[in-house]
Amino acid sequence: MWQEVSLDFIFLLSIFLPFLTAIFLFLNKKLFNELMTNFFTLNAALLSFAIAAYSFVVLALNKFNGVNIELFQWISNPDISIGFTLDGLSGIMLILVTGLSFVIQLFSTSYMEKDENYSNYFIYFNFFVFSMLLLVMSSNFLVMFFGWELVGLSSYLLISFWSKKPAAAKAGNKAFVINRVGDFGFLIGLMIILDNFNTFDFYKILNNSNEVSENTITLISLFLLLGAFGKSAQFPLFSWLPDAMEGPTPASALIHAATMVTAGVFMLVRISPLLQHSNLASLLITVFGLITALLAAFSAINQYDIKKVLAYSTISQLGFMFIAIGAGAYVAAIFHLVTHAFFKALLFLGAGAVIHSMHHEQDIRKMGGLRKQMPITASMMGVGTLAISGIPPLAGFWSKDEILASVFANGGIYYIFWALTLGAAFLTAFYMGRHWLLIFEKDNGFEHSDINEAPKAMTRPLLLLGIFSIFIGFINTPFFHGLEKVLHVNLENVEVTHLPEGITLVVLAVLSIGAGFTGLIIAFLFFGIELHKRIDLQKFKLEYPINLIKDLSFNVLYLNKFGNLFFVSGMKNLTRKVAVVVDGMLIDGSVNFVSTAFNKTSKITSTTQTGMVRNYVVYFGLFLLLLIVLFIATPMVQS
Amino acid sequence: MTRRKEIAMLEVTTDWYLSLAAILFTIGFLGMMIRKNALIMFMCIELMLNAVNLTFISASKHFGQIEGQVFVFFVLVVAAAEVVVGLAIIVSIFRKQSSASVDVLNVARG
Repeated sequence: MWQEVSLDFIFLLSIFLPFLTAIFLFLNKKLFNELMTNFFTLNAALLSFAIAAYSFVVLALNKFNGVNIELFQWISNPDISIGFTLDGLSGIMLILVTGLSFVIQLFSTSYMEKDENYSNYFIYFNFFVFSMLLLVMSSNFLVMFFGWELVGLSSYLLISFWSKKPAAAKAGNKAFVINRVGDFGFLIGLMIILDNFNTFDFYKILNNSNEVSENTITLISLFLLLGAFGKSAQFPLFSWLPDAMEGPTPASALIHAATMVTAGVFMLVRISPLLQHSNLASLLITVFGLITALLAAFSAINQYDIKKVLAYSTISQLGFMFIAIGAGAYVAAIFHLVTHAFFKALLFLGAGAVIHSMHHEQDIRKMGGLRKQMPITASMMGVGTLAISGIPPLAGFWSKDEILASVFANGGIYYIFWALTLGAAFLTAFYMGRHWLLIFEKDNGFEHSDINEAPKAMTRPLLLLGIFSIFIGFINTPFFHGLEKVLHVNLENVEVTHLPEGITLVVLAVLSIGAGFTGLIIAFLFFGIELHKRIDLQKFKLEYPINLIKDLSFNVLYLNKFGNLFFVSGMKNLTRKVAVVVDGMLIDGSVNFVSTAFNKTSKITSTTQTGMVRNYVVYFGLFLLLLIVLFIATPMVQS
Repeated sequence: MTRRKEIAMLEVTTDWYLSLAAILFTIGFLGMMIRKNALIMFMCIELMLNAVNLTFISASKHFGQIEGQVFVFFVLVVAAAEVVVGLAIIVSIFRKQSSASVDVLNVARG
């Protein structure tokens, strides 16, 4: 009994602690120097993580039967209340967000050193953590929507943190506007839900999902899906994420790699009992996830900004998660979310360390050969690269293999999807191999003798995340289904795709490892020993296709330019026309017409008001005469 | 009998009173329209009111009902009050322009 009571309330603390920290830092902005800010924000983050870990342990002892806390009921009919829940799904996210928040804040104390808005950064950061926890811990769609919007806001604040740079300000706006498109869909989805279920509570909705027709569920799913596409940067709403790299690198690590962009995946897993009833929605999720995974992986192979490669890689990996959801492998999606959070945070922080040591140079063509100067960063980035490429026994292998196997297990058209996903996995290994080799190995002819290893406050988080990136995969292997046990309550009534058995699984695993290794080896051939310079390209007539691929990849298939031309310029022209025709002529015209009409008629009628009393007497007499005539002329009515 | 009949023919009937009232009212109304002296106009109004009073009383007598005479009292009271206000206005007009012509007072024209 004691345990239940303590569990009930204590996890709320870890949600609101970052919020209180943000307020505390804001109030003492002028007073605190960097050291004091560090002291409060790091201790608060650690405490928050400790409470989260404790809650998770108690939850585990409770066999992952979740608790629901309704703080208060807002409206009784329809049933809308403010409440939080701690179950397997939100528990994982709670640990992930608070844990990574602490590690990344530790890194930030060094990265953001001597920034003029030092405390602002940590205020925004803590505010983001609070918003994200609001999103994941909510027990109903309303609080989730609050969190959903607030992470958008704090993401905007952090992307345009260096708002003196025009590119950063623009990128923040772009992210915000594109997210609006998704949020628009999310909001409409919520309205349809309220209309059909008369409540926002997850459990009431998900348990009553049989009462609503499949068409309605498909409609709800599609609108919510739009929201997920926006937040998780899926095709066609993905172009804000590469631009979002204008923000500080540690913020990118937490927001645009590990947590916020996975909100869409989280939300779809949350509504999985609903989603499983709609085949159309599932198919769409798979197809769009696949397009995103391939397109982003293709775009990553010829980027030169150290962070943009990682951004496209994030989009591509999120695509993998969407594929898993579409294939009904919800556990695999969450598994990949967790492993990806660790190795992508590691890669981003590594990139941050490199950028820091290179004095804010982000072009990887100007790096090269940094392995000797930055051994710890290089080895940890290497671990991250191997993990994301799916090399066993590192984390990425287990989750990616599970996704691939689940897609395969669906059969039918999913065999094609499986092959394409495998292709995306191969591309992943290729561009990540290229990324690492260009930064740390290949000699680009730049002198780097003045470059030193990053300070300890940076390398320690790297080491920590590196260890996790190696071992976190073991929480859910074919031999030990740990994550499935955690999520079993959430997915109680959900048909989860089961992995194929025996030899098929082994063959699939070998193929996925093969794709990873092949990608790395080809990357090594091109960028390690520079094969293309040793053979005569003219002879094989390969120069043109390679340049074409490079060009298309660098410009993301010209989708951004197309989007600008079609949506931005088109919309500008349209609004200009609307401004002239509808606003200028129709609306202004009608308003002006009414006023001039009144003006003119009143001018005419006011001439009767001469101000001469005797004229009025004449009117009076005339009307009296009229009345008498009418009185006489009207036939008497018999009563 | 014949003499009585002649006397009856000369009797002043209600029509006579009504005709007188109509004549008085018309005189008052024409005065309102023609004269521009505020004082004269005021007297014309009084004339019209009394014409109406006469109509009320004769109708009351004709139909043998009391309501018409009650109305006359109301009209008299209103007229008395109106005289008070109206004379005050006329006095203030005099103070302002030293003539009682209403045609000069056309500031409220449209």
